[in-house]
Amino acid sequence: MLLLKGKTAVVTGCLRGIGRAALETFAKNGADVFACCQREDERFAEYVLELSGNCGVSITPVYFDLLDEDAVKEGAKFIQKSKKSIDILVNVAGANFDALFHMVTMEQMKRTFAVNLFSQILFAQYITRLMLKGGGSGSVINISSISALDGNPGQLSYASSKAALIAATKTMSSELAPKDIRVNALAPGVIKTAMTDTLPEDIRSRMISKSELKRIGLPGEVAGAILYLELTAALDRRGGFRTCC
Amino acid sequence: MLLKGKTAIITGTRRGIGRAVVETFAANGADIYAHARSDSPEFTEEMRSAADKYGVEIWPVFFDMTDGASMKAFVKGLMSDKREIDVLVNNAGVTHNALFNMTTEVTLREQFEVNFFSVFLLIQYISKFMVKQKSGSIINIASTAGEDGNPGKSAYGASKAAVIAMTKSIAAELGELGVRANCIAPGVTETDMLATLPSVVLEETKNSLDLRRVGLPSEIADTALFLASDLSSYITGQTIRVDGGLK
Repeated sequence: MLLLKGKTAVVTGCLRGIGRAALETFAKNGADVFACCQREDERFAEYVLELSGNCGVSITPVYFDLLDEDAVKEGAKFIQKSKKSIDILVNVAGANFDALFHMVTMEQMKRTFAVNLFSQILFAQYITRLMLKGGGSGSVINISSISALDGNPGQLSYASSKAALIAATKTMSSELAPKDIRVNALAPGVIKTAMTDTLPEDIRSRMISKSELKRIGLPGEVAGAILYLELTAALDRRGGFRTCC
Repeated sequence: MLLKGKTAIITGTRRGIGRAVVETFAANGADIYAHARSDSPEFTEEMRSAADKYGVEIWPVFFDMTDGASMKAFVKGLMSDKREIDVLVNNAGVTHNALFNMTTEVTLREQFEVNFFSVFLLIQYISKFMVKQKSGSIINIASTAGEDGNPGKSAYGASKAAVIAMTKSIAAELGELGVRANCIAPGVTETDMLATLPSVVLEETKNSLDLRRVGLPSEIADTALFLASDLSSYITGQTIRVDGGLK
């Protein structure tokens, strides 16, 4: 069953992990996708070509680095020029610089917030304007983290930036929901991605043993929650929930 | 067809959210034990026509949630059916609006009997099936009143808060055995319970929602579908608010 037939989505962070899983889930459910990545990548372009062929949807790679504001604007304008109406925005791309509270530098803090908060907001400003212009309804999903809710040793800048993203989500929702754009955040737990692959083994296994299901989550399981958020209409603002505990 | 080949038990299916869950689950291929408090020919007929429409099995089952012996009899019947039970949706509930000092002990106890104790017992019975088969999803319909506190909802809200706390403990105990447990907290939803709200309150509430409208039972059912399906395979112990942005 094609659950998103005829919809167009913009997904950031598509090169791998959760973004890649969301891209696949959307394509398999019939959505056209603007697949945003940090940098041009030949293998990704080939993969996208194959996926769009297999699923019979259009997938357009868009390349920009979230650390570069001008590039973010360029990326948004490129999408705007396509003249397609946008139904869904999923902000997956994020950065993580692990450092203990006393060791974290201002430079690391600023970079983390630039990627995980400022650029997310800037990009969402552009894309939701397209949604409003299209006159139709829309949905924005911001990928936060359980570390935003719980805190986590060594993740000061990451956890703070992701907590700020949740607050931004709630405010965006209270402004945009009356205009029929729903805004939600998802807080994944420990998911098997490049980000968690770099965690020291003892920390990762401790986090997994703390989880009730006693296993690491898969990117596809977060994509399942993303798909669900697209399918339901009343969920809003505080609908943000965790995909692990 | 997110629930093809799965079997679900849903309580309180005569109308409202429970009925919508039956419809959504059947449309997604699930076989269903549809519980209602008492037998009625219309209900049985409606369940039969839904089963025909979607090509699934729907078995109406009748018992009062507070009648332990009838609940036990239902569970015994399940054992002899020898089916795997994949999903339990605890939806049946009662509400009495009353200011704190006006709440009688009788209504306080009744709300806890139906909304909490009977749910606790039913989960004890049904989770045994799930643990044995090492899979299952338990979905408890709570309420935003269980998280926020609302005037006139001291007893109802407390009973739903108890459900939320119980769900977290069940998730913690049964997670490693492959069983997930989550709550849905509906906000203001178009059901008979809504009709118990004074219209001034309803209008005011509606305007304070981000989406500026009340939710539909089918929108609660969509979230139940998600939690019942494998789309939510890494989600447990959570309370998902389906509230249109309730402040």
